[in-house]
Amino acid sequence: MKAWPPPWQVLIFDDPVNLMSFVTMVIRRIFGYSEQKATELMLQVHNKGRAIVWTGDREKAELFVQQLQSYQLLAAMEPVE
Amino acid sequence: MELIRHSDGRWSLARVSELEYLMLSRIQESADPSGCDQALERLYPSPVAPTAQLDHEAALSIEEDWREYTGPEIRDGFSQALEKVALDIASASVEDDEGYEYYGMTLPDAHAESWCSALNQARLVLHHRHELPEEAEEMGVNPVSEEWIVVLQSEIYGMIMEFLIKEVLWDQ
Repeated sequence: MKAWPPPWQVLIFDDPVNLMSFVTMVIRRIFGYSEQKATELMLQVHNKGRAIVWTGDREKAELFVQQLQSYQLLAAMEPVE
Repeated sequence: MELIRHSDGRWSLARVSELEYLMLSRIQESADPSGCDQALERLYPSPVAPTAQLDHEAALSIEEDWREYTGPEIRDGFSQALEKVALDIASASVEDDEGYEYYGMTLPDAHAESWCSALNQARLVLHHRHELPEEAEEMGVNPVSEEWIVVLQSEIYGMIMEFLIKEVLWDQ
Protein backbone atom coordinates (compact mmCIF):
# COMPACT_ATOMS: atom_id res chain seq x y z
CA MET A 1 0.00 0.00 0.00
CA LYS A 2 1.34 3.43 -0.97
CA ALA A 3 1.87 5.82 1.93
CA TRP A 4 0.71 9.41 1.56
CA PRO A 5 3.51 11.98 1.83
CA PRO A 6 3.28 13.99 5.06
CA PRO A 7 1.49 17.34 4.80
CA TRP A 8 3.36 20.61 4.99
CA GLN A 9 2.36 23.77 6.76
CA VAL A 10 2.88 27.35 5.65
CA LEU A 11 3.90 29.80 8.34
CA ILE A 12 4.08 33.56 8.53
CA PHE A 13 6.53 35.05 11.02
CA ASP A 14 6.22 38.43 12.69
CA ASP A 15 8.03 41.38 11.22
CA PRO A 16 7.52 44.62 13.15
CA VAL A 17 8.02 46.71 10.00
CA ASN A 18 5.17 45.22 7.99
CA LEU A 19 1.90 47.08 8.45
CA MET A 20 -0.88 45.05 10.07
CA SER A 21 -3.34 46.10 7.38
CA PHE A 22 -0.88 44.94 4.72
CA VAL A 23 -0.44 41.51 6.30
CA THR A 24 -4.23 41.09 6.61
CA MET A 25 -4.77 42.12 3.00
CA VAL A 26 -2.14 39.69 1.72
CA ILE A 27 -3.53 36.75 3.74
CA ARG A 28 -7.04 37.49 2.45
CA ARG A 29 -5.86 37.83 -1.10
CA ILE A 30 -3.67 34.72 -1.28
CA PHE A 31 -5.79 32.25 0.66
CA GLY A 32 -9.24 33.74 0.00
CA TYR A 33 -10.00 33.84 3.73
CA SER A 34 -12.68 36.10 5.18
CA GLU A 35 -11.61 39.42 6.64
CA GLN A 36 -12.27 38.04 10.13
CA LYS A 37 -10.10 34.95 9.65
CA ALA A 38 -7.34 36.95 7.98
CA THR A 39 -7.38 39.45 10.86
CA GLU A 40 -7.23 36.64 13.44
CA LEU A 41 -4.21 35.11 11.69
CA MET A 42 -2.49 38.48 11.41
CA LEU A 43 -3.03 39.08 15.14
CA GLN A 44 -1.65 35.61 15.90
CA VAL A 45 1.48 36.50 13.90
CA HIS A 46 1.73 39.83 15.69
CA ASN A 47 1.12 38.52 19.23
CA LYS A 48 2.71 35.07 19.11
CA GLY A 49 5.44 35.67 16.57
CA ARG A 50 4.12 33.18 14.03
CA ALA A 51 0.98 31.59 12.65
CA ILE A 52 0.26 28.52 10.59
CA VAL A 53 -1.83 29.88 7.75
CA TRP A 54 -2.30 26.79 5.59
CA THR A 55 -1.65 23.03 5.63
CA GLY A 56 -1.58 20.68 2.65
CA ASP A 57 0.65 19.13 0.04
CA ARG A 58 4.21 20.30 -0.41
CA GLU A 59 3.88 21.58 -3.96
CA LYS A 60 1.05 23.91 -3.07
CA ALA A 61 2.80 24.98 0.13
CA GLU A 62 5.79 26.06 -1.98
CA LEU A 63 3.52 28.09 -4.22
CA PHE A 64 1.94 29.85 -1.24
CA VAL A 65 5.35 30.62 0.29
CA GLN A 66 6.47 32.07 -3.03
CA GLN A 67 3.35 34.25 -3.19
CA LEU A 68 3.76 35.43 0.40
CA GLN A 69 7.45 36.22 -0.11
CA SER A 70 6.51 38.08 -3.30
CA TYR A 71 4.53 40.38 -1.00
CA GLN A 72 7.63 40.65 1.24
CA LEU A 73 6.03 38.75 4.10
CA LEU A 74 8.33 36.61 6.20
CA ALA A 75 6.98 33.21 5.20
CA ALA A 76 8.32 29.67 5.16
CA MET A 77 7.13 26.08 5.27
CA GLU A 78 7.81 22.90 7.16
CA PRO A 79 6.52 19.34 7.21
CA VAL A 80 3.88 18.67 9.82
CA GLU A 81 5.41 16.59 12.61
CA MET B 1 0.64 65.90 0.86
CA GLU B 2 -2.89 64.93 -0.04
CA LEU B 3 -3.93 61.44 -1.03
CA ILE B 4 -7.06 61.38 -3.14
CA ARG B 5 -9.18 58.47 -4.29
CA HIS B 6 -11.04 59.16 -7.54
CA SER B 7 -14.15 57.33 -8.68
CA ASP B 8 -12.77 56.61 -12.15
CA GLY B 9 -10.15 54.00 -11.22
CA ARG B 10 -7.38 56.46 -10.43
CA TRP B 11 -5.76 57.95 -7.33
CA SER B 12 -3.63 61.00 -6.75
CA LEU B 13 -0.72 62.19 -4.73
CA ALA B 14 -1.38 65.92 -4.60
CA ARG B 15 0.22 68.98 -3.03
CA VAL B 16 3.44 67.06 -2.45
CA SER B 17 6.00 69.42 -0.90
CA GLU B 18 9.61 69.51 -2.04
CA LEU B 19 10.72 67.56 1.03
CA GLU B 20 8.04 64.92 0.46
CA TYR B 21 8.94 64.72 -3.21
CA LEU B 22 12.59 64.27 -2.27
CA MET B 23 11.59 61.36 -0.04
CA LEU B 24 9.49 59.81 -2.80
CA SER B 25 12.44 60.19 -5.18
CA ARG B 26 14.48 58.11 -2.75
CA ILE B 27 12.21 55.06 -2.83
CA GLN B 28 14.25 53.13 -5.39
CA GLU B 29 17.60 53.94 -3.76
CA SER B 30 16.26 53.20 -0.27
CA ALA B 31 14.84 49.84 -1.35
CA ASP B 32 18.24 48.61 -2.60
CA PRO B 33 19.51 46.05 -0.07
CA SER B 34 23.04 45.88 -1.55
CA GLY B 35 25.71 45.72 1.12
CA CYS B 36 23.28 45.02 3.96
CA ASP B 37 23.16 41.33 4.77
CA GLN B 38 20.24 41.66 7.19
CA ALA B 39 18.13 43.39 4.55
CA LEU B 40 19.06 40.78 1.94
CA GLU B 41 18.14 37.97 4.31
CA ARG B 42 14.88 39.68 5.15
CA LEU B 43 13.86 40.25 1.50
CA TYR B 44 14.98 36.83 0.31
CA PRO B 45 14.48 34.44 3.25
CA SER B 46 14.77 30.68 3.14
CA PRO B 47 11.55 28.89 2.22
CA VAL B 48 12.27 26.35 4.96
CA ALA B 49 11.05 27.32 8.43
CA PRO B 50 13.81 27.40 11.08
CA THR B 51 11.74 24.96 13.13
CA ALA B 52 11.40 22.43 10.27
CA GLN B 53 12.15 18.85 11.30
CA LEU B 54 14.13 18.06 8.14
CA ASP B 55 17.54 16.52 7.71
CA HIS B 56 20.23 18.94 6.58
CA GLU B 57 20.42 17.57 3.03
CA ALA B 58 16.68 17.80 2.42
CA ALA B 59 16.58 21.41 3.64
CA LEU B 60 19.64 22.27 1.54
CA SER B 61 18.08 20.76 -1.56
CA ILE B 62 14.88 22.81 -1.16
CA GLU B 63 16.91 25.99 -0.58
CA GLU B 64 19.11 25.37 -3.65
CA ASP B 65 16.10 24.86 -5.89
CA TRP B 66 14.54 27.98 -4.43
CA ARG B 67 17.66 30.05 -5.10
CA GLU B 68 17.85 28.81 -8.67
CA TYR B 69 14.22 29.01 -9.76
CA THR B 70 12.04 30.98 -7.37
CA GLY B 71 14.43 33.62 -6.04
CA PRO B 72 15.03 35.23 -9.46
CA GLU B 73 11.27 35.46 -10.09
CA ILE B 74 10.76 37.23 -6.77
CA ARG B 75 13.66 39.60 -7.48
CA ASP B 76 12.27 40.42 -10.93
CA GLY B 77 8.89 41.23 -9.42
CA PHE B 78 10.47 43.61 -6.91
CA SER B 79 12.58 45.29 -9.64
CA GLN B 80 9.63 45.77 -11.97
CA ALA B 81 7.59 47.39 -9.20
CA LEU B 82 10.44 49.75 -8.31
CA GLU B 83 10.96 50.74 -11.95
CA LYS B 84 7.27 51.47 -12.45
CA VAL B 85 7.17 53.66 -9.34
CA ALA B 86 10.35 55.51 -10.36
CA LEU B 87 8.74 56.34 -13.73
CA ASP B 88 5.56 57.57 -12.00
CA ILE B 89 7.58 59.83 -9.71
CA ALA B 90 9.67 61.20 -12.56
CA SER B 91 6.47 62.10 -14.42
CA ALA B 92 5.09 64.25 -11.58
CA SER B 93 3.80 67.67 -12.53
CA VAL B 94 4.83 70.81 -10.68
CA GLU B 95 2.36 73.47 -9.57
CA ASP B 96 3.05 76.87 -8.17
CA ASP B 97 0.80 78.01 -5.36
CA GLU B 98 1.50 81.46 -3.96
CA GLY B 99 5.24 81.07 -4.36
CA TYR B 100 5.41 77.48 -3.13
CA GLU B 101 6.07 74.63 -5.51
CA TYR B 102 4.06 71.46 -5.13
CA TYR B 103 4.32 68.20 -7.01
CA GLY B 104 1.43 66.02 -8.03
CA MET B 105 0.60 62.86 -9.94
CA THR B 106 -2.59 61.01 -10.80
CA LEU B 107 -2.11 57.30 -11.35
CA PRO B 108 -4.24 54.33 -12.40
CA ASP B 109 -5.35 51.82 -9.75
CA ALA B 110 -3.24 49.23 -11.56
CA HIS B 111 -0.10 51.00 -10.28
CA ALA B 112 -1.14 50.73 -6.62
CA GLU B 113 0.21 47.20 -6.26
CA SER B 114 3.66 48.27 -7.47
CA TRP B 115 3.61 51.28 -5.17
CA CYS B 116 2.81 49.09 -2.16
CA SER B 117 5.60 46.68 -3.06
CA ALA B 118 8.16 49.45 -3.60
CA LEU B 119 7.20 51.37 -0.45
CA ASN B 120 7.20 48.24 1.68
CA GLN B 121 10.57 47.12 0.32
CA ALA B 122 12.04 50.54 1.02
CA ARG B 123 10.67 50.48 4.59
CA LEU B 124 12.12 47.03 5.22
CA VAL B 125 15.56 47.93 3.89
CA LEU B 126 15.66 51.28 5.72
CA HIS B 127 14.81 49.63 9.04
CA HIS B 128 17.49 46.97 8.63
CA ARG B 129 20.18 49.24 7.17
CA HIS B 130 19.74 51.87 9.90
CA GLU B 131 18.84 49.37 12.63
CA LEU B 132 15.83 51.46 13.60
CA PRO B 133 13.93 50.61 16.78
CA GLU B 134 10.42 49.17 16.42
CA GLU B 135 8.80 52.25 17.92
CA ALA B 136 9.79 55.89 17.42
CA GLU B 137 9.42 56.38 21.19
CA GLU B 138 12.45 54.14 21.70
CA MET B 139 14.67 56.53 19.78
CA GLY B 140 17.02 59.17 21.11
CA VAL B 141 15.96 62.73 21.75
CA ASN B 142 17.86 64.47 18.95
CA PRO B 143 15.15 65.13 16.34
CA VAL B 144 17.57 66.28 13.63
CA SER B 145 19.66 63.14 13.53
CA GLU B 146 19.83 61.08 10.33
CA GLU B 147 17.94 58.37 12.17
CA TRP B 148 14.95 60.66 12.65
CA ILE B 149 14.95 61.65 8.97
CA VAL B 150 14.92 57.97 8.01
CA VAL B 151 12.02 57.37 10.43
CA LEU B 152 10.12 60.28 8.86
CA GLN B 153 10.79 58.78 5.43
CA SER B 154 9.52 55.38 6.59
CA GLU B 155 6.42 56.96 8.21
CA ILE B 156 5.53 58.79 4.99
CA TYR B 157 5.91 55.57 3.02
CA GLY B 158 3.72 53.78 5.57
CA MET B 159 1.05 56.49 5.37
CA ILE B 160 0.85 56.14 1.58
CA MET B 161 0.67 52.36 1.95
CA GLU B 162 -2.22 52.61 4.44
CA PHE B 163 -4.11 54.80 1.98
CA LEU B 164 -3.51 52.43 -0.93
CA ILE B 165 -4.47 49.34 1.10
CA LYS B 166 -7.70 50.83 2.44
CA GLU B 167 -8.83 52.92 -0.51
CA VAL B 168 -7.53 51.12 -3.58
CA LEU B 169 -6.38 47.55 -2.99
CA TRP B 170 -8.64 46.20 -0.24
CA ASP B 171 -11.46 44.98 -2.46
CA GLN B 172 -9.42 44.05 -5.51
